[in-house]
Amino acid sequence: MYVIVVGGGTVGYYLSRDLVERGHEVTLIEKEARRADWLETQLGSIVMRGDGCEVRFLAQTGIERADAMLAVTADDEDNLIALQVAKRHFRVKKTIARVNNPTNVEIFKMLGVDEAVSATEVLLAALEPPITT
Amino acid sequence: MIIGCGRVGSQIAANMDRAGHEVVIVDRDPNAFSRASTRGVLTRDFRGDQVVGNGTDVDVLRRAGIEKADGFVAVTEGDNRNIMASQIAKHVFKVPHVVTRIYDPERAETYEKLGVHTICPTIEGAKHIERVLMERT
Repeated sequence: MYVIVVGGGTVGYYLSRDLVERGHEVTLIEKEARRADWLETQLGSIVMRGDGCEVRFLAQTGIERADAMLAVTADDEDNLIALQVAKRHFRVKKTIARVNNPTNVEIFKMLGVDEAVSATEVLLAALEPPITT
Repeated sequence: MIIGCGRVGSQIAANMDRAGHEVVIVDRDPNAFSRASTRGVLTRDFRGDQVVGNGTDVDVLRRAGIEKADGFVAVTEGDNRNIMASQIAKHVFKVPHVVTRIYDPERAETYEKLGVHTICPTIEGAKHIERVLMERT
């Protein structure tokens, strides 16, 4: 699979590393120059510096043949816009978002994102055992 | 409902309040309102509501009364925040009139095509300045 990851924070870094280890082709997009340089020392040439919400930049990432895009920055609005551009402009088949505000799980789905994952929801589910009657 | 109490947002809020409309202005920075007041824009006779909160947060919007809004304007400093807030207003809360400011011309064009009613001050401003310049010469 060819997967594009937007956002090279802690989540994006480990996600990209594991995807590569599993044999996938990955492009990791990071906006900030210094962070992108560091990511490149760790992951090599899969890192591209740029804004994952910009059509012109995304066109240089081979997005037309991407099977999936994951947007995992710390800003929900940036994740939403990157994935909407991927979905509606470039017709990427699968779009997956990290959402920081758990309410946005539903909102993102209403606005065309295929999957939305909230760490808060996952943690709450882990804390609360399923109700058995 | 106006999201973003900067120079543009506060100006719209003041004008619409003076014109007799019911106005709510939202900004995540509590100091934004006092800055607008210091600038003499949101004066003491402003009758609208000022709500501190993130305009892309559904719960904040609901608390600010979006369910009864007839119009919605997103004019924060962030293009992506404006786009997200506007889409929530339009698609989740079905606000009839939604206007979004997008500074980046490329992004503005993309979202205009996707049905977002967009104002791009970069393009509009450049055109206007050019026109005035040409009229003078």
